Amino acid sequence: MGSKVNKSHYGYFFIAPFFIGFAVFGLAPILYTLYLSFMKWDGFTDPVYVGVANYTRLLHDSFFYQTIWNTLIIWVFSNTPQLILALLLALILNEKFIRGKHFFRAVYFFPHIITPVTLGVIFSLMFDWQTGSINKLLMNLGIVHDPVNWFNSPWWSRIIASAVICWQYFGFNMIVFIAGLQSIPNEVYEAAEMDGATKRQTAVHITLPLLRPVFLFVFITSVIGGLQLFDAPLMLGDGPGNTSRTMVMYLYETAFKNFDYSYGAAVAYGIFIVVMFFTAITARASRLKE
Amino acid sequence: MGFHFKRLDYNLRQKGRSVLKTKNWLTMGTSVVLAASLLAGCGSNGSNGNNGGNTAGDTNGAANNGGSANEGAANGGGTKELSGKLVIWTFFDQVKDMADQFHAKNPGVTVDVKMFPGDQYQTKLLTALQSGRDVPDIFDLERGYIGKFIDSKFLTDLTAMGGDDLVKDYIPYVQELGRSSDNKLRAISDHSSPGGFWYQKDIAAKYLGTDDPDKISDMVSSWDKIVELGKKVAADSGGKEHLIQNAGDLFDIEAYNTQPWVKDGKLNIDPKWQTVYDTQQKIRQNNVDAKLPFMSAGWGNALNDGSVVLTSMPAWAGFMIDNKDDKAKGKYGVAKTPEGFYVGGTYRGIYDKSDNKELAYEFIKYIAGTEWQQHNLEKTGNMPGSGKVYEANVDTYKSAFFGDQNILKPYYESVKQMPAIKADKYGEDILSKWRKAAGDGITNNKSYDDVVKDFKKEVKNTFPELKLD
Repeated sequence: MGSKVNKSHYGYFFIAPFFIGFAVFGLAPILYTLYLSFMKWDGFTDPVYVGVANYTRLLHDSFFYQTIWNTLIIWVFSNTPQLILALLLALILNEKFIRGKHFFRAVYFFPHIITPVTLGVIFSLMFDWQTGSINKLLMNLGIVHDPVNWFNSPWWSRIIASAVICWQYFGFNMIVFIAGLQSIPNEVYEAAEMDGATKRQTAVHITLPLLRPVFLFVFITSVIGGLQLFDAPLMLGDGPGNTSRTMVMYLYETAFKNFDYSYGAAVAYGIFIVVMFFTAITARASRLKE
Repeated sequence: MGFHFKRLDYNLRQKGRSVLKTKNWLTMGTSVVLAASLLAGCGSNGSNGNNGGNTAGDTNGAANNGGSANEGAANGGGTKELSGKLVIWTFFDQVKDMADQFHAKNPGVTVDVKMFPGDQYQTKLLTALQSGRDVPDIFDLERGYIGKFIDSKFLTDLTAMGGDDLVKDYIPYVQELGRSSDNKLRAISDHSSPGGFWYQKDIAAKYLGTDDPDKISDMVSSWDKIVELGKKVAADSGGKEHLIQNAGDLFDIEAYNTQPWVKDGKLNIDPKWQTVYDTQQKIRQNNVDAKLPFMSAGWGNALNDGSVVLTSMPAWAGFMIDNKDDKAKGKYGVAKTPEGFYVGGTYRGIYDKSDNKELAYEFIKYIAGTEWQQHNLEKTGNMPGSGKVYEANVDTYKSAFFGDQNILKPYYESVKQMPAIKADKYGEDILSKWRKAAGDGITNNKSYDDVVKDFKKEVKNTFPELKLD
């Protein structure tokens, strides 16, 4: 055939900006972090090579293991209701005859526009022990007699952190689900209708299976995003006995509060491995079904 | 579509999902624009560093400077005219006034103040110092982390420049905190930060039966007295009014009235903390405190609405009082706490590799001097660092909030007695771990031994190099 692909070098110029940006702001810090993780460095003196000492310390660090566990709990608590809510709302708002559905789509998306830090601050004020509006409300309604010290309870701390995240992201996932729903061709529904399928049967046997790629996307992003939880929980604090401290919060505290940059770097790689592990499981699970 | 998304995920693992959403739209189409703007961003940052006087600093100063620098050079005779440009990094906006005052006195000097509010300041500063680029001539260090910087290679030895002379009349604790472990002066503060019990006079009259600062100081001269008085206030008000803000305030008051946390590489828990912890538990159990954390929103409200009788706070925290239309004028009094204390403090040092050390030293000299500290006291109510300024004002100084009360007197008496202790790199971090462990213990009514156990675990984790019993 002798067809020739045009291998002009100009193509590289067009893709260069991304790779330059990635090399400078992505790859270089990643490699530098790896280098630091084999050093001892507090930012004031010159780094000293210590081999795998930081990793040995990490392996025996019960605080780090606790943060993995905390992160997983917060992830489950935030994502389960979030995905259910997002899917339900998407199904409802995708109906043809719902009034004001554009309005509601916008409203449900609003929390996503606010920065997580702001949300964290708002929730921590709302749930404040002495002055929070939630306690005031509960006491006025006579549900509780004494103010509840929410952030003194491991489970409430985690639930509140989860609620912030759930509230922030359900709108975004809802939009993704709606997009997925709208990409399902109408013919399939029409055919089902012709065959006399009920609404329920249509939902279970047509809508959900055809939404699978979207589910996968939402699920994988939520695994990655969920394991990197940081800003909102940071504003809510570590919780009693560090029970709502996430992995990335621990990294932040180690590196940027205690200035233990080298151990912080090792923690970063520890987190990387944990995230890799869970992403691999997710990817594997999704492949099995195919 | 699913495939496209999945690929993106893997690439963006590091960036989280909020970025991902944007990336979907941006990745391919506008990566060029992005990269271009990033590069442009770097460029403009660089130039900011060079002529920041026009951006963050005092624009007046920069504008005036063009003419006056020349005049200064022409003047020649008489007093020595200073000229040049100083860059100061700080987290505190009152430094701008400092720069303005210095500039007014030395028109030939442009002082460019760059302010980085919030707790990112120290990370930013450390990064700049490490890289050695775009570094300030003078930088501010807060009490909370000065211990980490004080022995570093970044601070000029002020003793060698004659700095000891500047602080010879200083309050002992204030000058000592600016010294490195080899006793060289490395940083100087222009103020002291004594604390006391602030109270609203009418509230005190109602619950304590007097608004006289000396009588109130007597009524609260020991922690046992405070617990007893607190019980009475709670009972009289039906539990609505509290005597003090928080049992946790004792951490601040005792912080520098106890032994250092680390001695010879070993964790050292002053036995006094056990007594303090017992007091804190008594305070909490007897409803003496309002359980409001220092500087929280509820704390500020209580200070202004009087739902707490006595608020222990430093002299510099006057900005927390709502003084709209002068409504707080003469409304407050200040009494002595059972032990003297101070909270915070801002120190200023010179970057060791600055080309401008001599000029920077002149600036440090100015803020360590009586003229500035007098001005600052009158303008902001910040207490001086120099004992001389205290003494000059002790009988005359009046502050708007406090009516006729001579507030300098109780402050001066307690601040003079504060032990002079050097800052080390562990003290503040370990104190905050103690706060966390003991604070948790107070709330959950834990035994002292359990608190110590939790505390040691935290310390061991963060500072594995320290020896523990």
